[in-house]
Amino acid sequence: MKRDFQYPDVTGRRHWKGLDELAGTPEFNEWLHREFPAGASELAADGSSRRAFLQLMGASLGLAGLAGCRRPEAHIVPFTKSPEWMVPGRALQYASTMPRRRGSLPVLVTTFNGRPTKIEGNPLHPMSGGKTDSFAQASILDVYDPDRSRRILKGGVATDAKALQDQIAEWRKAWAADGGKGVAFIVDETLSPTRVRLAGELLKQFPNISGCIHEPMLDCDDDLNATRAAFGPRGHAAVDFAKADVVLALGSDFLGNDDGTLADVREFSLRRRPGKAMNRLYVAEHAFTVTGGSADHRLRVAESLLPHVAAEIGREILKCGRDVGLRELVDAMPPAPHWSDKQAAWIRECAKDLVAHSCHCAVVAGFAQHGATQIIAHAINAALDNLGKTVIPRPRPGFGPSDHILGLPRMAERLAAGEIHTLFILGANPAYTAPADMNFGDLLKKVKTIVHHGLYVDETAEAAHWHLPAAHFIEAWGDTIAADHSYCSIQPMILPLFGGWSQLQLLAALAGKPFSEGPEEIQETFRAKARMSHGPDFDRAWTRFVHDGFARPDFPATAAPAQFDAARAAAALRLNIPRDPAPTPDGLEVVLAADYRVDDGRYINNGWMQEFPDPITKLTWENAALMSPATAKALGLRVQKRGGIVKDGVTVGQVIKITAGGRTIEAPVLEAPGHADNSITLHLGYGHRATGKVGSGSGFDAYALRTTKNPRLLTGAKIEATGRVHRFAVTQEHHSLEGRDHAREAPLEHFKKHPDFAKHLGVHSPPLKNAFDSKPFLTAPHQWAMAVDLSACTGCGTCMVACQAENNIPIVGAEQVRNGREMHWVRVDRYFTSHEDYSPDLGTAPSDPEMLAQPVMCQHCENAPCEVVCPVNATVHNDEGLNVMAYNRCIGTRYCANNCPYKVRRFNYFDYNQRPVLERHKFLGFDIGGLYFGPTRPKGSPETLKMQRNPNVTVRMRGVMEKCTFCVQRLEVAKIDQKVRAGASPDITVPANSIQTACQQACPAAAISFGNEADPRDTVVGHRADQRSYEVLSFLNTRPRVSYLAKIRNPNPAMPDAAHVGMSALREAHDHGEEPGASAGAHGHEKPAGATKPHGGH
Amino acid sequence: MANIFPRWSNWLPLQIAACLLIIGPVLVAGVTYYFTPKYTRVGYEPIQPVAFDHSLHVTQLGMDCRYCHTGVEVSSHSNVPNTQTCMNCHAHVQANNPKLAPVKKSFETGQPIPWVRIHQAPDYVYFNHAVHVNRGISCRECHGEVNNMTVVRHDQPMSMGWCLSCHRNPETKIRPLDKVYDLSWKAESPEAQAEMGKRLVEAWRVKPPQDCAGCHR
Repeated sequence: MKRDFQYPDVTGRRHWKGLDELAGTPEFNEWLHREFPAGASELAADGSSRRAFLQLMGASLGLAGLAGCRRPEAHIVPFTKSPEWMVPGRALQYASTMPRRRGSLPVLVTTFNGRPTKIEGNPLHPMSGGKTDSFAQASILDVYDPDRSRRILKGGVATDAKALQDQIAEWRKAWAADGGKGVAFIVDETLSPTRVRLAGELLKQFPNISGCIHEPMLDCDDDLNATRAAFGPRGHAAVDFAKADVVLALGSDFLGNDDGTLADVREFSLRRRPGKAMNRLYVAEHAFTVTGGSADHRLRVAESLLPHVAAEIGREILKCGRDVGLRELVDAMPPAPHWSDKQAAWIRECAKDLVAHSCHCAVVAGFAQHGATQIIAHAINAALDNLGKTVIPRPRPGFGPSDHILGLPRMAERLAAGEIHTLFILGANPAYTAPADMNFGDLLKKVKTIVHHGLYVDETAEAAHWHLPAAHFIEAWGDTIAADHSYCSIQPMILPLFGGWSQLQLLAALAGKPFSEGPEEIQETFRAKARMSHGPDFDRAWTRFVHDGFARPDFPATAAPAQFDAARAAAALRLNIPRDPAPTPDGLEVVLAADYRVDDGRYINNGWMQEFPDPITKLTWENAALMSPATAKALGLRVQKRGGIVKDGVTVGQVIKITAGGRTIEAPVLEAPGHADNSITLHLGYGHRATGKVGSGSGFDAYALRTTKNPRLLTGAKIEATGRVHRFAVTQEHHSLEGRDHAREAPLEHFKKHPDFAKHLGVHSPPLKNAFDSKPFLTAPHQWAMAVDLSACTGCGTCMVACQAENNIPIVGAEQVRNGREMHWVRVDRYFTSHEDYSPDLGTAPSDPEMLAQPVMCQHCENAPCEVVCPVNATVHNDEGLNVMAYNRCIGTRYCANNCPYKVRRFNYFDYNQRPVLERHKFLGFDIGGLYFGPTRPKGSPETLKMQRNPNVTVRMRGVMEKCTFCVQRLEVAKIDQKVRAGASPDITVPANSIQTACQQACPAAAISFGNEADPRDTVVGHRADQRSYEVLSFLNTRPRVSYLAKIRNPNPAMPDAAHVGMSALREAHDHGEEPGASAGAHGHEKPAGATKPHGGH
Repeated sequence: MANIFPRWSNWLPLQIAACLLIIGPVLVAGVTYYFTPKYTRVGYEPIQPVAFDHSLHVTQLGMDCRYCHTGVEVSSHSNVPNTQTCMNCHAHVQANNPKLAPVKKSFETGQPIPWVRIHQAPDYVYFNHAVHVNRGISCRECHGEVNNMTVVRHDQPMSMGWCLSCHRNPETKIRPLDKVYDLSWKAESPEAQAEMGKRLVEAWRVKPPQDCAGCHR
């Protein structure tokens, strides 16, 4: 029987991770009181029983034989001739670039003996700054995906490259006659100048070829049109977040995955630290995004109403006497719907704040938002004199439509008219992603010859007559353009594993060039760009280009400062007046959005991204119909009556039929706090009909509702309950911590008055004393410590994927996640908080919660509770302050996890690294996961995946506990390198700030600092000594080596919700009738100094 | 009623106890001796695909370890030389010696020579050569006097206890950096080694890790 700790009085209002925590349902308490979620240590949760288990065990014992007793003979196989630079045992990094549709991401690829294993950002390039996002981190797994297509297929039958080359020659002969009439290309957006050049060459030879760039997330080009209407060139309005003091985001997730660059995230986050002039973020959006979660003030409003919010803000700005053509636009808009008092005040005060910060503010409209929202945003920026200062309109990298490049709708018309007889589809998957009203599958049937080039045999490949496996960007030469228009190189790290061609190789072949694995085509483009001929100068420039990964743009990114053209903007607006009605329970709105995990569907077969919990909903392995708890209740869709959504330890939701625009799909409901009412969000990219093992059967296809006219927003949708209950794989309440105030925050004003507020929050305890002094043991010259700045952290979760890539963390599959067995070493706890109380009678959550994210990894406590309970000394402390795991000693008692107050330990319930995690078998009538069969079934981990593993990290097996090691492999390498440098000298201390953990290196917001606490020059020392610094559960005297810097919000005192913003951790003003926010600080002052103060470092 | 148990069975418990008293310690002693790397691994001397003679190359010809094991100073791994390294000399020296046929064949075909591995640390052990040789630990301390070996054999047990014996007392093994690759060098006496070792350990701040993370990651 577990003893319940009686937690002393806590300050502050509640943080809650999910609705069940809020409602305090028995399901949540069950979770809370266990070291692992309820299903984790039970076998029965998978449809099998203990009896079935015993039968299996009997079988496996019978099969176990004695292995041979002789030591096997092993071989060392050196190269015959050494490749350049290669030293066995050392990693090499090469610069390359990950192609992205809105500006590519410069990266460094780490390779071990020719195997690329990890992707980091390229620190030389300003668009990366050494940082990456989760997609870049996960893309390395795609290289080794065993489900990638491996053979050239002709009519579904494997053939060889020779046959294809012969066919290409035949095609070229045929096209020469009529200039390629009836030949068309549909390509994805890779931003490759060489592709443009090759396309030009192809067009020169066959002038009647037509082409189309299809990117589902770019197909709604409202943003380009709005920019053209406002400023002339088609492009986007880039924001200089380093200069913007006040930012208003209208449905824009610039910190997340749709608008911004990593440079934006970095610059924005730098201004979130209260030390410098702190910026302020207003967000109006319909569902929480990581941007909305970082907001100081968030307006929850239906997507259909966003243009009206923009217009209303425009009207308020007009009242302040700002114009420049804004009036014309605002007057063109239909009258605004009725705003509630709170909404009206929000809009009014936000506008006033923007006006007060003219020239230093920015209004950002999401690129997928209605054209009207975007035009008005441009006009507001013009009226506030932001243009050329904080907002810089510039052409978007890319090669937009021209005479030969059509939009997808026109291509569809041509296909429908039967004008196309040969269709090349390169990289894109239109059979899955094209708008539903095009019936693209039927259109493809009209084409005589379809040639598909892609990484997977997907829906389009199945419809194609030829399929050619593509080379991953890590496997072939290429070039691309970053968001700042710099020219970037892509170099291969490894020959194509599955014999694919790159797009450029295919285009070159079609243009009649001989096949080459080399960079000749890229060199030609580079030569033209650099205006160089052959010679040593060129060789030097080329080598530098490939070495650095990019060349500076030799053309100015922006021409003259853009002028806002009010008349043209107004004309464009009048053509595109938003007429979407406000959503009602009978006419819901449906918003289709890109997913944080699979993007537009391209990462559907990537296990890391599938198991990466959505930063907001913490959903894994599938998508859901997100709606607000109030809407779910009003529509009668709740499964649990008490207000929670957890049943038998699993998050559940009712499956509904959603009908919009005459099309119907089925989707399970997941209640999402902070969502606009009468609105449903569906994430795209799931429910593929043809994909690999990882992606098949995951989620539902929301593209089925998408139309050409309405790529993002559908109104007047109806729903119908089916009564069926869906079991989600949601991690949100897994590993919940007892007590409160783990994530601490305060408004800026309070912080100024009480800079050390964070140290006085949480559970108050008497002065802490150690029975034994652990200090004498911590004598090494390095004392590792970490600090996480919650002010900077957006909760995007890139750290989780980076950690997974670095530390050989396996995926476990949806069923195992439901059982609470996910293996991520660092999790991102996402808390909601609200000043409104939960009312059990209503059973609804507070409607406007704030969001707070906190990454939690092993805290490396100096007084680690896990260490004292390990019966075999498998987890012990070292003299550098690390809580180390000796996997080989671990016998799997799980006592350590039981005793860890932070719940950061992960147990290998199965041999996730070697067994078929995703396979299922029939056994005694049960449908049982392949893992449960243990050694009775053959090992199933694909060989290729083993190539991705980091050779410096042990691959753990079944029955072993594991957890964050502070990337001890990186620490050891750094220490060893320093000792090697030291040689016969005593200089063995690693230089300050020279080590980065994987999470720290990837974090785009630079929220994590890590280093040697014993070296005062190290940044982490300053952060740990910062006034905002606190340690979680410090009253337990664990003395963690991870500290957090409390989040500071910067509310505008004039806003209607100002009294509550950022107050979650502080005692509410009305409780005590004191000045808002003063109480916690005052309380702190009463106490003897240093009572809960953590030890002062070394 | 006849006795069920014969008379001699009265002694049986005592006999069993005596046997156990003997068998137990014998078992323990046997396992301690025979089941450890000191017995199972030391002396392993497999036949290599090419009869490379270290004593000939090092002691007679005076070649340095690092001419072939190029990575030892910079990498965790001390590489076995690639065929190219052999051919640097043997393209000219003993070019037609039939013993070198596998090397020549490998160089021509690009098929590597499958040397038989002698020293193998388990997967969960991350040994690093560079840090040892750059901080005064000679090749000899782990690999023995390879300079005098005609056929390389496993010389030291390389068990965890053996590693720790040196990590706890580095002064017993440490030597000046210019003597690291001089495998026949030895301090004049154990006392001289102890005196010098102590001095070097202090001067260089040698602190070999004794915690798990030093070798297990």
